[in-house]
Amino acid sequence: MKNKAVAMGDSGLTERIVKLGCLLLAAAALSMPVDSHAQAHDVITVKDDGGWRMQVDGEDYYIKGVVWGYSPRGQNYTYNLWGESDDFIRKVLDYEFGLMKAANINAIRSFTTIPPKWVTYIYREHGIMSVINPLMGRYGYSIDGKWVPFTDYSDPRTREILKRDMVEIISEYKDVEGVLMFAFGNESNYGLSWSSFEIENLPEGEQNTAKARSLYSLFAEVIDACRQVAPDHLYTIVNGDIQYIDLIAEYLPDMDILGSNVYRGPSFTDLWARVDEKLDMPVVFFEFGSDAFNARTFQEDQLNQALLLKDMWQEMYNKSWGNSEEGNSIGAFIFEWRDEWWKYLQVENLDVQDTNASWSNQAYLFDWAEGQNNMNEEWFGIAALGPPNSDGVYEARPRMAYDVIGEVFEMDPYTASKGQINAMFANMDIDLYELKGDVRMLKADSTEQKRKLQFTGGDIRAEVAFRGLEQDITRDGKEGIDFSDGQMVNLDFAFRPNDNIEGQFSINILGNVAEKQPLEFGYGDRGLPFAIDAKEFLPFVEPELIPPTTVFNDRERVEIYDFNAKYQGDNWDVEAFYHTPRFHWGYEGDFFNLVQESTDILGIDTFNGKAPAGIEIAGKGKYDGLTLVAGPEIYWGANPQWLFKYQFDLGKTEFAFIHSEELSQLDEGAFRNQAVNRVASKTTLYAARDIFKNVTLELGGIISSRERIDEAYDYIDSEGNIRTDKIEFEDTLGIKAKLTFPVFGWETYLSGHSAGLVADGGGPIPTFGWRDPTNLPYSAFGNKNEFEAGMIMSFGNMMIYPRLLYRENLIDANPDIPPNSNGSVLNPGISPRNRDSDPFAVLNNREARSAEIFFTWDPTGATPFYDWDNEFREDAPFAFNIGGTYTEFPTDTDANLFFFRGGGFNAPFPGGLPAEDVWTISSRMVINPAGSNTRIILDLRRGFDQSSGTPERGTADFFDISGKAYVGRRHIVSGYFKKDSWGPYDFFRQFNFRYPEQVNFEYSYLLGGAVLGNLIDEARATRIGVRTTFRTVDETSLPEEYLEGENDYAFLTVFFLTYRF
Amino acid sequence: MTMRKRQETAGRRIRTALITMIGIVAAALAGCESPGDGDGTVINNIALPTDTVLDLFCEDVGVFPEICVLEDPANPFVTTTIIEPGLDPDNANKFQIATSFPPGPAGAKARFYFWATALARFPSGENQYFTALALHELFDANSNALGADELIREQALKAYRSQLDNFFGTVFVAVCCEDIRPPGDDRGPVPFPIGLNEWTADNLYRTEGSISNTIVEGQTVPYRRLVDGDPLLVEELLLTWGYGYEAATPPDFDNGIVYIITFP
Repeated sequence: MKNKAVAMGDSGLTERIVKLGCLLLAAAALSMPVDSHAQAHDVITVKDDGGWRMQVDGEDYYIKGVVWGYSPRGQNYTYNLWGESDDFIRKVLDYEFGLMKAANINAIRSFTTIPPKWVTYIYREHGIMSVINPLMGRYGYSIDGKWVPFTDYSDPRTREILKRDMVEIISEYKDVEGVLMFAFGNESNYGLSWSSFEIENLPEGEQNTAKARSLYSLFAEVIDACRQVAPDHLYTIVNGDIQYIDLIAEYLPDMDILGSNVYRGPSFTDLWARVDEKLDMPVVFFEFGSDAFNARTFQEDQLNQALLLKDMWQEMYNKSWGNSEEGNSIGAFIFEWRDEWWKYLQVENLDVQDTNASWSNQAYLFDWAEGQNNMNEEWFGIAALGPPNSDGVYEARPRMAYDVIGEVFEMDPYTASKGQINAMFANMDIDLYELKGDVRMLKADSTEQKRKLQFTGGDIRAEVAFRGLEQDITRDGKEGIDFSDGQMVNLDFAFRPNDNIEGQFSINILGNVAEKQPLEFGYGDRGLPFAIDAKEFLPFVEPELIPPTTVFNDRERVEIYDFNAKYQGDNWDVEAFYHTPRFHWGYEGDFFNLVQESTDILGIDTFNGKAPAGIEIAGKGKYDGLTLVAGPEIYWGANPQWLFKYQFDLGKTEFAFIHSEELSQLDEGAFRNQAVNRVASKTTLYAARDIFKNVTLELGGIISSRERIDEAYDYIDSEGNIRTDKIEFEDTLGIKAKLTFPVFGWETYLSGHSAGLVADGGGPIPTFGWRDPTNLPYSAFGNKNEFEAGMIMSFGNMMIYPRLLYRENLIDANPDIPPNSNGSVLNPGISPRNRDSDPFAVLNNREARSAEIFFTWDPTGATPFYDWDNEFREDAPFAFNIGGTYTEFPTDTDANLFFFRGGGFNAPFPGGLPAEDVWTISSRMVINPAGSNTRIILDLRRGFDQSSGTPERGTADFFDISGKAYVGRRHIVSGYFKKDSWGPYDFFRQFNFRYPEQVNFEYSYLLGGAVLGNLIDEARATRIGVRTTFRTVDETSLPEEYLEGENDYAFLTVFFLTYRF
Repeated sequence: MTMRKRQETAGRRIRTALITMIGIVAAALAGCESPGDGDGTVINNIALPTDTVLDLFCEDVGVFPEICVLEDPANPFVTTTIIEPGLDPDNANKFQIATSFPPGPAGAKARFYFWATALARFPSGENQYFTALALHELFDANSNALGADELIREQALKAYRSQLDNFFGTVFVAVCCEDIRPPGDDRGPVPFPIGLNEWTADNLYRTEGSISNTIVEGQTVPYRRLVDGDPLLVEELLLTWGYGYEAATPPDFDNGIVYIITFP
């Protein structure tokens, strides 16, 4: 190099210009689209005391691969991507391999022969190498112009042609940049008597040994011939498992690698030792993995697929070089990159992802059952096959396995120690990956039908309602029954103006609105006549002086129901959201739950809520970890605010910094009457670290509600004096710690939370999310020292989960002491605080001593009992939980607030809730009667508990039973019976309105729709049905139903039809 | 320095800053104390002023929107929680406290501070009116045949005018006459509204004292008029403020009308 530089320096001007021109030409050639063959790589395998390694261009290389193919919906194996335009191919490859690269995938195997220029393109643009894998007659071959469906490897002419063709292919690729190795066949040993493109064709005995000899001898001849033209490459075959290993040893002793497709379940068992013993070759799996469909539950099962892949990769890493084991694993290709919808039946139902399991494999225990198939050919992808984007490229929706292998592939098994390898697998955050997979699935499900066309569908709903009160019926007979009807149309639209922006929105149009209140509230009630009754604002004015009530009809007939748009940039993604589901950030360092979950869109609809609404900007690449969210209501009930988050790791410690700045109060309370919160800024810091094996320490600090510094508050001291004090900075501080550790192998936690008077955060996230049965008195408010402990004990299928919570207040609630004066000295008295007039109040953060235990029986752990979608997925013949909570509230509370909708402001209830001991016991059961295609879900609840707002009308001593039955895939029956319980919406408990008896029954007949789990998603189905609610009333019930004792009951019956198009 | 190094350095700075903040918060938490049982000021023995000498703490004390009364060291109610009936009717204590002061001059100064404090915290016509009335009462207490407290007189006039200028349409809701309800109606006393602008004009106009004290405190104490001489001078004063007044007439004096003058 040095000599060349000198020579160049010595040359004349002309020569230098010529050389410079040559350099420029060379550079230009390199920058041109790839259509020429560059040099091949130096790919070798080496063996030393540590075992086998593959090296590419002198660097160790462990294959982290996937089996890749591009099969659009509606197409089958005949589809030829390479026949498309270069522009389209480039779009496909950039999309597909961009996703792969993000998961650290470094190699692919493809059944189709990728043209050389695209092999190089994939390598240069995405760094991913390709195995060239001619199938060598596995599924038939053209012999002298005639298609022979079952290749006869013993036929001399066939052998000659195959050998010739293989040499030709290898000659074409031998110098192509991006080629990793050459492999021949695909489980050809399984195709000695018949052929299929499915992978289920396991052999039946060794009756084909003679034919196998022909096959393996041909492989040997082909490899020898290819080495004549391309000696510096690696060669292998793709064998079915290690069948005929002795023949392989006999015919292919100098093959470079044993390539094998292996479906042995979570472990490859003795394969490593047998290969080591009989072949002394490194091993590459050209296929292995698991389908993502559970044949028992008849549902997508991302979790088990991911867990199996995780176990498989852990074993492979342990069997790789330098771990004092066989050391013969040099990598593998997961089968497969994404689902292919043609695999079952191959020419039928190509637009439908078939859920038929076509073969059985007992090694996959999560869905295996005696006598039944469990392998679902069309569900093997680590990504699902999505709809086409605006480029016409069918999208891939990554499953949980994608994230799992992404983390696995970050590690280099050659440089990591065995301990590091196993620690990485042990510490993987499976819950997070599961959540991400579920979120993507949910989003994909919700937008699946909204992206194909500009107008993507919708529904028409019609209903007829009969509503009545006993008093009216007694007085007027049939005339006392109100009759009304309602109609509604939803229209869904999708848009994608360019590659970076896409979104969807829906428009809701109202016709008439059925009058169902107060027995039912629902979306569309915005169109009910709205009356302005001046009496509500002038309660003390004589009625004759008040202007008549004004009624507004035909209001808000059309509105945007939801909207979502996303811009994807190089460094930032921007998403605008309006009334579309959003999750909490509990897994992203939000220890104080500042961003709460808003996924119950139907619940929000009940009261015409529009949350969540806002915009999110999320950094990626060099800005990874930065997120900004801003909006008028980023979760249901949130004040207008902006919120900033920065997550980062420092060493082995995870940190998160969050600051939220509220800008004003929300205009209207959530769920009808929830009080709006005063403006409060919050800043949190969070750190988490595994301090020992399986021992995690989480620490967090918060500064909250600094706006209330210097606000005065009153309290009673221990001597009975009324004192006044002011909020100081230290009252805004809170600290929280949680230690999670194993005891006898059971996950155990201890947590403590000390919060100053105004150090409010968000409510804690229960262990199992929203389906957690806990009734512990959690609170988001400050003014507390709180301690909690729990232990998840497992005994086979039984889980016992006891939890304890203790909380004390820094300052207690205020009693009600009226003012008094002796003429010269005034005692101003004191009264219960409320969160509007005072900087803080003792409410659900009151002093508490609570104990809880729940027993959960779930014999099918693959469908966790507390998963959010368990209703749709639980497959156990009988799974249930039962448990209870007992809580002592030794002190009164201050006064709760409610949102007074008539005036548009908060108002306090008259006084606080009294000191009292409360309890609840509850049970949830899921029953799947054998062979009946029926699922029954029952919830029972018995309790003695207080209102969540007003102290009026005493404590409820209640009993509830509710149930739902799915019969077949067409019938849904549901209902409830409640005794002395609150009405069906949150505000009933807030105002403590109860009913002696409540009965509800609903029947729906589904005429079709989207599948959720193994059930049709009733929310997205065409259906017809009837629903009726009946309740008796007494003095604890809503005044407009009780009518001062004049009325005995109220009822509502609704006939409904939803047609989806 | 390359761009990449700059970014890395910036990242390190941010992280260092955040970790430092964590340390500061942890140190603050370690050093801070929970609110103690004896923290704050005892307020259940508020000594009420019984004299009638009022030093005006600032020029517009007791006149909306001035809130300097909250800084006045002579104000005994700075730390008192006053709960408005309109905000929390079940826990309201405003009238309970207001009616606990001694009647007559001995309670006048306390009444002023109380209502002025209520006004500063929650501006309303009601609070403004009773602040003016308390000033009027203090003026009366400090006035005799030989002289009058001119400062207090002007302050009272400013307070009355503020009632008209800032809270013209507000009413005071009184209750009475439970016995007029029909048999079986147990809703209690009957509420009725009284326009505070009428009371304001009446307090200025009438020579024998207004009826407001009768309703609020149960006794009629005629205060010395703030505008001496013929009542027509009150009309003149109101005119300069932009209001007209058709005076209430005997025997009930409940038919006065105050109106806003609009000039062509």
